[in-house]
Amino acid sequence: MATTKIPANVAAASLSRRQFVKAGGALVVGFGLVGPELLKGDTPKPTVLKNSLDAALPSSWIEIHPNNTVLIRTGKPDFGQGTTFTAYRQIVADELSVPFEAITTVVNGDTDRTPDGSGAFDFLGHGTPNIRKAAAYTYQALLDLSSERLGVPKDKLTVKDGVVSGGDKSISYGDLVKDRQLKLTIPVAGDLTSIFGLAVMGDPPMKPVSEYTVIGKSFKNSITSSKVAAKETWATDVRLPGMLHARIVHPKTLGSKLVSAGALDKIRFPNSQVIVKANLVGVVAVTEWEAIQAANQVAGTTKWTEWKGLPGSAKLQQHLKEEADWKAAPVTKGGVNKGDVDPVLTSAHKKHSATYHMPYMKHAPIGPTMAVGDVKPDGTVHIHTHNQNPQALRGEIAKMLGISADLVIVHTYPGPGHYGRSNGGNAGAEDEAVILSQALGKPVRVQWMRPDDLQWSTQSPAAFSEIQIAIDEKGKMAAYQADHYMPAMQDDRLIGAVLAGLPTMPAPDVHNDFITSTVNNISDPWTYAPVPNVMERGHGTFQVGQKSSPLAVGLRDHSMRTPVQYQQNYPRELAMSEAAALAGADAIQFRMDHATEERAIGVLKAVRDASGWDTRPSPRAVATGATPLRGRGVSLMFRSGTYWACVCQIAVTPGTGAIKVEKYTVAVDPGIVINPDQLKRQVQGGAVMGISIALLEELTFDESGITQRNWMNYPILTMADVPEINVVLLHNPKVGAYGGGSEAANALAAPAIAAALHDATGKILRRLPLKPAYVLEALKA
Amino acid sequence: MVTLNVNGARREVNVPDNTPLLYVLRNDLELIGPQFGCGLAQCGACAVLVDGKEVRSCVKSVASVANKEITTLEGLPARWAKQKGLSAEEAKNTLHPVQQAWIEEQTPQCGFCQNGMMIKATELLESNPHPSIVQIKEAFTTSGPSPNLCRCGTYVAIMEAVQHAAEIMAKGGK
Repeated sequence: MATTKIPANVAAASLSRRQFVKAGGALVVGFGLVGPELLKGDTPKPTVLKNSLDAALPSSWIEIHPNNTVLIRTGKPDFGQGTTFTAYRQIVADELSVPFEAITTVVNGDTDRTPDGSGAFDFLGHGTPNIRKAAAYTYQALLDLSSERLGVPKDKLTVKDGVVSGGDKSISYGDLVKDRQLKLTIPVAGDLTSIFGLAVMGDPPMKPVSEYTVIGKSFKNSITSSKVAAKETWATDVRLPGMLHARIVHPKTLGSKLVSAGALDKIRFPNSQVIVKANLVGVVAVTEWEAIQAANQVAGTTKWTEWKGLPGSAKLQQHLKEEADWKAAPVTKGGVNKGDVDPVLTSAHKKHSATYHMPYMKHAPIGPTMAVGDVKPDGTVHIHTHNQNPQALRGEIAKMLGISADLVIVHTYPGPGHYGRSNGGNAGAEDEAVILSQALGKPVRVQWMRPDDLQWSTQSPAAFSEIQIAIDEKGKMAAYQADHYMPAMQDDRLIGAVLAGLPTMPAPDVHNDFITSTVNNISDPWTYAPVPNVMERGHGTFQVGQKSSPLAVGLRDHSMRTPVQYQQNYPRELAMSEAAALAGADAIQFRMDHATEERAIGVLKAVRDASGWDTRPSPRAVATGATPLRGRGVSLMFRSGTYWACVCQIAVTPGTGAIKVEKYTVAVDPGIVINPDQLKRQVQGGAVMGISIALLEELTFDESGITQRNWMNYPILTMADVPEINVVLLHNPKVGAYGGGSEAANALAAPAIAAALHDATGKILRRLPLKPAYVLEALKA
Repeated sequence: MVTLNVNGARREVNVPDNTPLLYVLRNDLELIGPQFGCGLAQCGACAVLVDGKEVRSCVKSVASVANKEITTLEGLPARWAKQKGLSAEEAKNTLHPVQQAWIEEQTPQCGFCQNGMMIKATELLESNPHPSIVQIKEAFTTSGPSPNLCRCGTYVAIMEAVQHAAEIMAKGGK
């Protein structure tokens, strides 16, 4: 399997990258086929940028080579899920009727070598990712071509392992395309450099589920081997001739302006220089170690204005509730709102009413963000980095420099996962590398240090929700009302450009496109259809500090795994467990009694059985003594075509307030399971991150900025605290489609753990994270 | 000029004595297995073996490891081949059992931390060929300067891979 393999000589890696593709990537027969009947309607074709592939040409997506090997391309970079190297190959293999192994090359991410843009999210496209449709069009064209070559009607042809047979004749795909130049245009629509990129349109016939032979099997992720053997080129490994190393001296606060940059000690650091552009201060040196030391020296004497415009994390929830401007965006309403909740809540037999609080959290990649910028004399701008949405970055860099996106090329490489931070195009450092490269006329590598990454990156926004539930005499939910409050989720501005005073997209505002708007949409699909009265409302506002910061910065937010839905599902699911307790019902049975969707009931039953759940109302006990108390809680979610149910079984030590998750069980029904082993690994990982955010993670900040600088003060879960994790995959082919798998698992733990704490102790804690001191305080009360 | 013994080869580098080993390995010797994670010995991404012990190369000055035996991720196959007395031809086509297990168990997600995880696993298995789950957890949490951190949450896969590597090693590498 060749994934654009790069020679061991890293110094030459980036230069030889394209040459290698030519040399090692098998000579490509320009493959395209005529099939105008495949075009449904007249979709206007997006303009093709220079240094881009034409997404309307099937050969930009899929190449079939004379030796019967296949190359596929996708704009979606891999972020560790391995989906492009496993599921995408499986999907294409089944649509084309070729073996998995025939797809020898996967090209992903690079803006000049992939067709469609968009990002490392929603890989499975709700069952129909772009690459599947491109494969389906290609398959139909191959059948047309075979029919013509073999003189056999299309509907009499069969295909197995890339060989088309009909009558007593057969021909391989390789022979079919040999020496042929044919044309087929497939319909595409959208904006390449927008967050969602281009979409393949139309409705080509696709393989029925019953004919899948590759989907459903556990193929290995081909990039794993090269990473494990230290043969993969990571973004961190890119070294260009003449490249300089840089560190950024970020401002003292999130609202500081530069007074004066510190003077460089030229005796200690003879090969360094300071570059200043407005409020952006960069220190550049020939060697990395000198750049680090020189930047520290310069930072010590750089002067900034003071700013105190944040509430501080201790007063965050009070600020959100009492001071934030929730009129900044119109109130949104959920799609399933029905009935009239007010009178039912007023006259409820029993009523649950509570407020739930979620903190800011960091994406916290294991490696801080970095990029190499290379502004060349010919005017092209190259960026080498690890990025979830390279085409969006391309558009943002073009905007920053005031040039056409034609001239910007983003090269992508593996890197430390950052879980949504760059799905809108940037994670930090990319713009700074370009600005410094332009100033110096040389390639510049900007590496953020750990404090930069904690203090100057975006965060998953804090939120709070007010939930009310009415229970009737029969113990059934008569009404559900939720008001979800959250600052703007997505700030895709380039922070280096903001500091340098260069053009960027606007700060979050109600007038922006919905993704960077202040509007808070209802994003947690309702799973309790029989409830007769439902009212869900979303309330949005500006980011905290955004309006008062002279830089219009403040606490910048960005989506992180299960964005918005996490902030709405946590309060909903904990409230459901509380409502069950109020009704004197078992928390799983209560959910099943309020669900009609077979798949929702299916995951609840599966998780009940697999976890050894004892059916009874909560709580079981009250907090006494020093021995650990045990309890269990459940949560339910529907996301991207997949149903999830989770049970956490915990032990809490009353004397310390420490919670230990002893067992985490999750049942997943994604419809069709494409690759069981890979999905299982993804879910295990999400489970661990979910426990980490439930128990440990919370951004701390004072009035000026973020106060955490490293892993000691932003801890994440360690191996010692990993519970037994049991993943139950429910392969459900009758759904007829595959749902997404990789990110939702992390959202499930928090409401299940909080419910388990209630079960164990009788105390409900509605603010995350569930740190020992907070738990202890509640147990003493 | 500092003389290093890296992956069985003598390498001379002309860098200031206080340069952290990590930057020398990555930038001067083009050994890219160790990654920059925190620069503070708090995560393990940069780990290498120095005389068989896991060391965080981001805080270890190059002068302090002069003439000591340094093994990076790139050097694990040769380290195993030497321990097993494999021929040069056999050695070329082998991976360390830890690396084999990491592939067979499909351990990494993003994989950025896994250099340190494999180095820690090698250190552990060289002193304890059949570690229990409790011992594995101790090794990856309390035995080093800090816990080895994985943000993707692959700890379960790591524990399974360490046990699988132990099996491969017990069978002599097959």
